[in-house]
Amino acid sequence: MSVLLEGDEQLERELTGEPIAAPATGSVLLHIAIAGAIVAYYIIGGFYKSNLWGGPSSGGAIQVNLVSSAIPLPSDQPPNQNVLATETPSPAPAPPEPKAAPKVDEQAIPISGKKVQPKPQVAPKNQQKVQQPVQQNRAQYGEQAANNLPRTTQGQTSPGPTSVTQGDFGSRFGWYVDNINRKMSQVWNRYEVDPRTPKGTRVFLIFTIGRDGVPGNPQLDRSSGSPTLDRSCLRAVQRVDTFGALPGGYSGSSLNVSYYCEY
Amino acid sequence: MIAKLPRVLLPLVALILPFSAPMIAQDWVHAGTNLGNARIRLGVADFKAADSDPATPALKATFDATLFSDLENAGIFDMVSKSMAPVGTPGSPQEINLSQWSAAPASAEMIAFGALRTDNGRLAVYGWLDDAHNTQNPQVLTKQYSEAASQDMARTIAHRFADEIILRLGGGINGIAETKIYFVSNRTGTKEIWAMDYDGQNQHQITHLGSISISPRISPDNSRIAFASLGKEGWAIRMYSLDLGRLVSFPGGSTGGNNQSPAWSADGSKIAFSSGRTGDPEIWLADASGGNLHKVTSFRGPDVSPTWNPRTNAQIAWVSGRTGLPQIYVMDQDGANIQRMTDGGYAISPSWSPNGQFLTFSWDRKYGPGAPGGYDIYVMDIASKRWMQLTHDAGVNDFPSWAPDGRHIVFERNMGGHVQIWSMLADGTQQQELTHGGNNFMPNWSWK
Repeated sequence: MSVLLEGDEQLERELTGEPIAAPATGSVLLHIAIAGAIVAYYIIGGFYKSNLWGGPSSGGAIQVNLVSSAIPLPSDQPPNQNVLATETPSPAPAPPEPKAAPKVDEQAIPISGKKVQPKPQVAPKNQQKVQQPVQQNRAQYGEQAANNLPRTTQGQTSPGPTSVTQGDFGSRFGWYVDNINRKMSQVWNRYEVDPRTPKGTRVFLIFTIGRDGVPGNPQLDRSSGSPTLDRSCLRAVQRVDTFGALPGGYSGSSLNVSYYCEY
Repeated sequence: MIAKLPRVLLPLVALILPFSAPMIAQDWVHAGTNLGNARIRLGVADFKAADSDPATPALKATFDATLFSDLENAGIFDMVSKSMAPVGTPGSPQEINLSQWSAAPASAEMIAFGALRTDNGRLAVYGWLDDAHNTQNPQVLTKQYSEAASQDMARTIAHRFADEIILRLGGGINGIAETKIYFVSNRTGTKEIWAMDYDGQNQHQITHLGSISISPRISPDNSRIAFASLGKEGWAIRMYSLDLGRLVSFPGGSTGGNNQSPAWSADGSKIAFSSGRTGDPEIWLADASGGNLHKVTSFRGPDVSPTWNPRTNAQIAWVSGRTGLPQIYVMDQDGANIQRMTDGGYAISPSWSPNGQFLTFSWDRKYGPGAPGGYDIYVMDIASKRWMQLTHDAGVNDFPSWAPDGRHIVFERNMGGHVQIWSMLADGTQQQELTHGGNNFMPNWSWK
């Protein structure tokens, strides 16, 4: 018993020797202060955050893609000189040219007794009756490799189908015709064309260029059969502000241009 | 009708017809898209010194170097390197051998050449541009200049001749060789407004305020610079007249509350800027004189960095934080038809292209803690919202500004704490550093 009492006294002495109330209170207050600080930090932080740029939540969804053209810089689109790019893709070879009729020399004196039998004229058959549907799984060959050509070898522009039917504008001011080609290629957006349009399809337009270089009166000359291609080519002309003033050496009041967009 | 004419008149009619035809007729040309869009292969011959004046060689060296770099920077030419050019310096159309230039390795399509001479303190330059493939009528351009003989004028003449060539061969778009870039530099200790030529030459200080001046914007007529400056009332929009060489008053921009990021309308009659005078930063419009103030945005969240559509002069693109992180928006100048352009990330500092089709801006597409994003320059087609990234993995890029030709963009790049002005073509190629001393910020390309 006495041992127990001694033990109690000892315990009491130990307890009274280290007063717990003040540190405990301090600890509780400190914890409350820390909790309060955390709460205050979030409240104030959240307040300031919303006052600045808010959270990193994204708003409405907008489709974004790559820009393709219309910056007035030359694009790396290579010239399309692919002989396979025709308006009528077909696995069969092109129909042969109709045979020229044998020349009859009208000056020649007919030999008496010799009978000339005229050969019956056979109309060339149109071998390609049904246009083949465009195959989506065709191998790409020919033109694409031109992308890998180094730029410095692009020294000469191909004359291509650029030709002049009247006057000598094309031969005197070839650089201006190149200007038209370059500018139109820049502003024509190929992505506006329905991708099902056969490669090599052409739409022909005509428009005029005034002395100040402003294009006017664009109209369809020959439709490509693809409304999207027709429209994109017309839009391209409308998008051009100016081709640059017509050369001073040219005396005409305006220039007629026949232009094609080839998909 | 001709058959009815008396026979004596027929030779006369035949004589007149060929002459009258070209005067009334319009020529036809045929062209097409698949004829290529390659850069023009351009050769530049060193100009011929047409006298033995001792000052001429130095001027000629400056002229040749400036002309070549201007044409190289234009972005539309594939230049014939000087080492591939035929030997000899043709000084006139009689002296040039076109077939020599059009043959490999030069393979030039166009050749610029000419002569220069100094005469009684005047520098006279004769320049030609010939089409190498057209031996019949090779001459495309002939120019003659006469200015005071100095290094500055040699550079200026080279700029002018280059701009003529670019205008002729670049489809009617004026060259930018004579344009200026305004920017902020701290190389004197405080942030002041500076100016330089488009190629980084001729850098000089404009303002001497001893405070902090940022976001310079040159007026469309090159007469005044609007900028934001820290003064007694906080951030204020100030106006510096380049004609008078001093500050002029702009009362609307100094009414307390963080006035920043001014922008000129395309006709120079109005200024848009961001002001927090009502608490939230909003876009305000004022006349160029600083009067007639009114607010065009009213939405919770900051609205800053306006830029005008230079083509229509009727729309404003700006940065808004109404949905959280800053995004690029477009609206009419009266505040109607608001349209969001960017879909996320952190998009700031829009600049509108001269043809009105594109916006360029700085964008961190993967913004947030731990996200591997960087601030890069982007170009967006406004109609289709298609975009293209121009800078990749090269520091923090911000404050892009279009050149008036729509082919170049100048921007600020922070690499390892060194902030400098860079320029590039609008497809992201030909990036070059324009400034080197101190730190340089917030470039703005002049309108012409």
